[in-house]
Amino acid sequence: MNFELNEDQQAITESVDRLLAQHAGATRTIELNGHGMYDDALHQLLDESGFSTIARDLASEDGPAGLEAALIVEAVARAGGVVACAAQMLVAPAVQEAAITGPITLCTLDDLKKPVPLRFGAHAKTLLVLGIRDVHVIPLTPEDLKPVRSSFGYPMGRLAKADRFADLNAAGNCLGPNAALAMANWWRLSLAVEAVGTMDAALTHTVGYLKQRRQFGRSIGSFQAIQHRLSLCAIGVEASRWLVREAAYHGAPTEAVAAAAAFTLETADQVFTETHQMSGAIGFTCEFDLHVWSMRLLALRQELGGVGGARRALVEARWGNQP
Amino acid sequence: MEFDWSQEDIQHRRDVQAFLKEELPDNWEEMSQHGPGGDSQAQFSRHFCSRMAERGWLTQHWPSEYGGRDCEPWRHSIVGEEMWSVGEPRGSQYMNVNWIGPAIMNYGSEQQKALHLPKISTGQVLWCQGFSEPEAGSDLVALRTRAEKIDNQYVINGSKIWTSYCNHADFIFLLVRTDPSSSRHRGISVLLVPMDTEGIEVREIPSVVGERYFHEVFFTDVTVPTDVLLGEANNGWNVVNYALQFERIGAARYARAAVTLDKLAELARERGMLEDPIVVDRLGEARALCEAARVLVYKVIDIRAKGLPPTADTQLARVLSTTCDNAIGRLALEIFGQESREYASFADTNFRMAMTAGIAVGATEVQLNLIASRFLELPKE
Ligand SMILES: Cc1cc2nc3c(=O)[nH]c(=O)nc-3n(C[C@H](O)[C@H](O)[C@H](O)COP(=O)(O)OP(=O)(O)OC[C@H]3O[C@@H](n4cnc5c(N)ncnc54)[C@H](O)[C@@H]3O)c2cc1C
Repeated sequence: MNFELNEDQQAITESVDRLLAQHAGATRTIELNGHGMYDDALHQLLDESGFSTIARDLASEDGPAGLEAALIVEAVARAGGVVACAAQMLVAPAVQEAAITGPITLCTLDDLKKPVPLRFGAHAKTLLVLGIRDVHVIPLTPEDLKPVRSSFGYPMGRLAKADRFADLNAAGNCLGPNAALAMANWWRLSLAVEAVGTMDAALTHTVGYLKQRRQFGRSIGSFQAIQHRLSLCAIGVEASRWLVREAAYHGAPTEAVAAAAAFTLETADQVFTETHQMSGAIGFTCEFDLHVWSMRLLALRQELGGVGGARRALVEARWGNQP
Repeated sequence: MEFDWSQEDIQHRRDVQAFLKEELPDNWEEMSQHGPGGDSQAQFSRHFCSRMAERGWLTQHWPSEYGGRDCEPWRHSIVGEEMWSVGEPRGSQYMNVNWIGPAIMNYGSEQQKALHLPKISTGQVLWCQGFSEPEAGSDLVALRTRAEKIDNQYVINGSKIWTSYCNHADFIFLLVRTDPSSSRHRGISVLLVPMDTEGIEVREIPSVVGERYFHEVFFTDVTVPTDVLLGEANNGWNVVNYALQFERIGAARYARAAVTLDKLAELARERGMLEDPIVVDRLGEARALCEAARVLVYKVIDIRAKGLPPTADTQLARVLSTTCDNAIGRLALEIFGQESREYASFADTNFRMAMTAGIAVGATEVQLNLIASRFLELPKE
């Protein structure tokens, strides 16, 4: 056991942070979100710098290097990056060895049926559908996609023509049961990884603001009523971070993933509520950065059955108690 | 103790419901999606409130000498519940009839009463509330916007923030510092200022909540006659406290939340989600919360109806109403899942409307502090 980053991991996180400091951040996210745009430039930079393929490039006989990829995804989420890197870096390498063209958007059969707005769904080049026993890898064209305006901090889009996806086997490549299990686990874990980076940034932003915001002749952060709740958020974020990293390290085993996601996505709710409540009215404005992260937390809670889905998966994995 | 509505009250509720059915246009849902401050709703409120006034319902709780019918607060609360349930077609005018008019009745000069009360009671005028400032939020008495008395005029300089409804308002109920040497709650006055006065500038603050939600109002050498002063100079803090004593529960948020919840349950049933024990559990939890908020609000109305001074019960009711509103906004997101990602969908709209509940009209923490000191009589920190 060792909770410190090794040298390689440290080098990776430092260099991705450097890249993000230059090419991402709340201001850029707000600008892009305002136009429902995808950050093609950042996506390309992550590709060119080798971050997008790190899970494959550093793979060992145990599988893709999920932890290293998770550290990058966490950092990108912290920077509010408008790129579908979680699907690219964590989910794709787990389902097939060959590279998958990004941006990638993920959905379940149910999501496809409705069809619901998908994160990055207006810009994706590949759709990964999680079936009951299969994964379908479907190339997308711009005609397949329709942008959807959303309050929830990511560019969203919906699949435009339902009939095109009626026969999934005809629409794309079908991968077998191993891929389906891997996709479910890595997708669920990737939601938690993104939530960790996102919560971290939301909380850091709020703590910074509350140190400086003064009312009643003192900083709001000096009130114990506020301090205790911020401390509880910090506990939640820290536990989430390490649960997620541990699960990534182990290659996303079902039970560890479910526990990490169940805990993290519940904490995401708490962090959303508390950061907004404590920021006061300014926290709802577009010019205050909080929404870059806070609104995303709610979107992350919605995929793959959300907290309830993760809890059920956890009970099933641990006690086989699922009907 | 008695928990019945009178036959007249029950009939009144039915009448109001029937009236709403008749008066609300077919596209009301769309019209009201930006809330009482939205452009279309603000415009509509002028028509709607004058229709209410024709029925004698707009200000029925006011004394008859000011165009009211001397009805009990209970009667007015029925109107409030029904209005909020459908998304408040009175727009911002609920503030007029709840507290702005009554404050003018209590503190206003004859001239002010003659100018403002008929406009309010006929539904012809929109007001906004100019209290908060960038540095004076929870700590409202830190406000700095000043009005300097020069001859027979006040010259106002400063700015207000978060001001709802001000983009359509005809008047602002404005809190200013009139004694520059004063601090905290002394030296504050209320001015009733026409929004078209030269030197007033409104800027919308874009928000994630929706359009036309927040504004900043700038005052640059705004010159008004001294007769816009409401009550005595430097006594504004008392005026505001009187005006707002019951207003923490002025908007029947729990009623709106309860209706939203009914719709949610209906939609859950249509989707077969009532088979899911967790959904059932959450719906039950939320419904109980609505009821708990309602009963605490009713307790406050009872205090008011008896003419007793306000108590910390108002804060108790306020906090629970807020909790209820938030819980249902969030439950809508859970039930609709990824469908709520679509802007202006049912869940998205309700969630955004609810998300500011814990901040608007005084943040929850401040209410909790008041409960601790006044209700529990705990010592100060
Ligand atoms: C939707 C909406 C509509 C509004 N409309 C109007 C309007 O029409 N007119 C108007 O004048 N204002 C309006 N406001 C402003 C509102 O009154 C203020 O936002 C509110 O009083 C809180 O002030 P603040 O936003 O500056 O938060 P702050 O005062 O900065 O508070 C930030 C956080 O610190 C907490 N805090 C503050 N003091 C303490 C303490 N002593 N102990 C513990 N915690 C504390 C607060 O509870 C909050 O959680 C509106 C606000 C909203 C959200």
